[in-house]
Amino acid sequence: MGRAPEQQKRPRSRLRSRMLAVSVGAVALALVAAACGGSSGSTTAAGGTKVAGGTASLALPPSTTPNYVFPFTSSAYISVTNSDYLAQLLYRPLYWFGTGSQPTVNTSISLANLPVFNGNKVTITLKPYKWSNGTPVTAQNVVFWLNMEQAVGATDYGAFTGFPNTVVSGIKAVSPTELTMTMTKAWSHNWFLYNELSQITPMPTAWDRTASGPSSCTTTVSDCAKVYAYLDAQSKALSSYVTSPLWSIVDGPWKLSAFNADGHITFVPNKSYSGPVKPSLAQFQEVPFTTDTAEYGVLQSPSASGKVNVGYIPTQDLPAKPANAVVGANPLASKGYDMHPLPVWGINYYVQNLQSTTANGPVIKQLYFRQAMAYLMNQEAVIKGPLKGYGSITVGPVASAPVTQFLSPTGKQGDPFPYNPTKAKSLLTSHGWNVVPQGQTTCTTPSLCGPGVKAGQALKFNFPYATGTAWIVSELSQLQSNAAALGIKLNLEPKPFNQVTALAAGNCIVAKIPCNWDMADWGGGWSFAPDYLPTGETLFKCGAIANSGGFCDKTNDGLIDNTLTSNASSAMYSWQDYLATKLPLSWQPNADYAVYEISSNLKGVWPLSPTLTFTPENWYFTK
Amino acid sequence: MAVFLIRRVLQALVVLLLVTVITFALLRMIPGNVAVAIMGPGVYRDPAAIKLFDTTYGFDKPWYTQYLIWLGHLVRGNLGYSWKLNQSVASLLGTRLPKTIALVGISTILALIVAVPIGVIQAVRRNKLLDHVFNGSSTLFYAMPSFLLGILLILVFAIKIPILPAEGPQGEGLGVIFTQFNALILPILSLALITIALFSRYMRSSVLDNITEDYVRTAKAKGASERRILIRHVLRNSLIPIATLLGLSLPGILSGALITEAVFNYPGMGLLFYQEAQSSDYPVLLGVTVVVAVATVVGSLLADVTYAVLDPRVRYVSQ
Repeated sequence: MGRAPEQQKRPRSRLRSRMLAVSVGAVALALVAAACGGSSGSTTAAGGTKVAGGTASLALPPSTTPNYVFPFTSSAYISVTNSDYLAQLLYRPLYWFGTGSQPTVNTSISLANLPVFNGNKVTITLKPYKWSNGTPVTAQNVVFWLNMEQAVGATDYGAFTGFPNTVVSGIKAVSPTELTMTMTKAWSHNWFLYNELSQITPMPTAWDRTASGPSSCTTTVSDCAKVYAYLDAQSKALSSYVTSPLWSIVDGPWKLSAFNADGHITFVPNKSYSGPVKPSLAQFQEVPFTTDTAEYGVLQSPSASGKVNVGYIPTQDLPAKPANAVVGANPLASKGYDMHPLPVWGINYYVQNLQSTTANGPVIKQLYFRQAMAYLMNQEAVIKGPLKGYGSITVGPVASAPVTQFLSPTGKQGDPFPYNPTKAKSLLTSHGWNVVPQGQTTCTTPSLCGPGVKAGQALKFNFPYATGTAWIVSELSQLQSNAAALGIKLNLEPKPFNQVTALAAGNCIVAKIPCNWDMADWGGGWSFAPDYLPTGETLFKCGAIANSGGFCDKTNDGLIDNTLTSNASSAMYSWQDYLATKLPLSWQPNADYAVYEISSNLKGVWPLSPTLTFTPENWYFTK
Repeated sequence: MAVFLIRRVLQALVVLLLVTVITFALLRMIPGNVAVAIMGPGVYRDPAAIKLFDTTYGFDKPWYTQYLIWLGHLVRGNLGYSWKLNQSVASLLGTRLPKTIALVGISTILALIVAVPIGVIQAVRRNKLLDHVFNGSSTLFYAMPSFLLGILLILVFAIKIPILPAEGPQGEGLGVIFTQFNALILPILSLALITIALFSRYMRSSVLDNITEDYVRTAKAKGASERRILIRHVLRNSLIPIATLLGLSLPGILSGALITEAVFNYPGMGLLFYQEAQSSDYPVLLGVTVVVAVATVVGSLLADVTYAVLDPRVRYVSQ
């Protein structure tokens, strides 16, 4: 895998997603499977004859195990593992994101039809899904979630964004299948769907209770805090997940048949699943691993007690990818695996702190300096070198891989600051710096260096970074060397991931944490989930708490506001093209989430979605 | 002997208390916000969640108050709750510790069974071919990092010659160790080979020291056979440093198994500590520290007692 998922803990805006992707091809195949649903025997499928049944096993990311089933997940437990590897297999979100290899809404497996906008009024019509206890998935089940969000979202929901309170009013279930609400202003339809409605997971009426009996959170917001406390407590009883009368009511394609807190989990098909594609496998298993090396050992040498159908290759074992190829020579081809790299829907960067209280603060505030540093970051070389070809260039605030409708034509042209030490040097010298290659560059003309920069000030920075990701170490060593060639000294300080994020992942002034740091890199950047539309209000607006570098630009704020209210792609394009060159953060390559190894006789797995979700109901074996 | 034991136990309790105070204080000195470490940097957008976390888990109180609260819980048998793993620390240890004890226990017993005779043979045949062979082997294994040995064992016995699984026994409970015992062979070998190297070198040196002692000469003069001298006299005295070493190695072996656990996908206690240290999961860190501290103290105590049993002079000096 490009990066072990555990190692690349991203400060996901609100960690993890709802949705999964099913490619058009996979959907087509799955529809064929659905047509034959329930039948035994085999049918002909691409790449062999389809065999009904069988057990497919998926390797969990290293050192991670699902441990929280309640889909209204608190900050402490919200993660890719809990969401994508557990909750979403059981409880489907209202809207599923991930269509093939695109991070877009998947209308086929969403629980509701696309919202209809009439002015500021939004109407959501639910499809005829059923819970496993036979009751229908209703608009009231959606209101149940929305009420809980209003009651406890600010403290207990890990993806809290202010929705629905600050975004809509007049939420009403007008019928069992129809829900209406009024947007507080004319929000962009895409933004409303991708970043707000994307968070909702309908909850069954049976969950509307406390220890003392049924409650009324579905109708009364003030009742929700106690219901939340009860459900949260129930979610702490891991050993009861399989037998719990609460957690066994599902509307997803799978039910739990075994749950071991060590990460060994077995799912079986939910026979009453009412979605378009019924599971073909008899069982779907998740298998935990301590390290990616241990996982790779099992891929190389499966045994009766340990076999993996969908696993990943550790970075150090990846074959280099030749130019213009999708993958390198698969080391496990002879073992019956196909190799597939999966990009993640996100961007990557290191932070330069524009609010630094050190003497370097005034230097970092200068755009020319940040641009000089950007010219010294050789993204292409990092991808070809330590990432062995499995990564993409970060071109601005919108991800460049996969290429989407959200990326501007300018963004599609590539790195706005391709490696160019000559340009970097020129930027420094033209702004009053005496560049001393391999020495110490100093400011000689303060009036040109910028406000607050003193004569004789040296370009010398402390740079803490998170240890544990080999390619980040290589990248920063390369940057250090490139910077030294222009007399810029980067004092790299390896630190644990948590210490780097605690230092640099929040806006230091807004989060009221120390601002006495200059640069930092936790290695993971930002993933867009469950706010799938990369509009930037949480990362780049003045005063946003996740705006790590403290970048503040009124023009940028205005352009972001346009993206929140305009339905035109041009609003997204204008904003990202403007911001990409302002370097609010310093772009660095985005490593692929993983390079997967998938059993050749297990079909329907690929393509996986860059939103990192899974739909094993599409998987089937062939012979 | 009773006085000796009581005094040792009281000393042990004081040591344990000090260990908890120091560990607690050190953990609180780690830079960074615990709430952010646990909930991820995304929580910065949600200050209310940080405040709630701090209030719920007492981080709004001074560290010594937090310590007293934790100690109060500990005395009542409550080791705390893992914020990250959504399980009680007691339940985590209950699952992980037996696995580690089984792995470490079997490999240590195996190491003793093999290392003691090897050490004796080396001493008896010192500077002969067999001694050189064992010396070379033990140096090789002792110098080899455990992760490298583990990976080499997997490479040879699971991948190149696939006769054993690449991972340890998988599944809940200790039962899997018996149902998948072949999966435990490589992890045991990985730990045992290094321990054998260590113990056999100590044993060799100890036997060499003893066979030049006066009591050996006396026994020879009395006409005792070499075999009888070796087994009845030299072996018992030579085991004293091994007993000490074994007692002192106990905590090291318990926590040190983490590399083997990681390489062989065998989630034990050492690995649990390492993983939770990375996410500032303090209750787990404190819980494991208490267990390892108890193991250290008990190990020392056992070593002292064994020493006293093997060499009565120790008891008399203590009294």
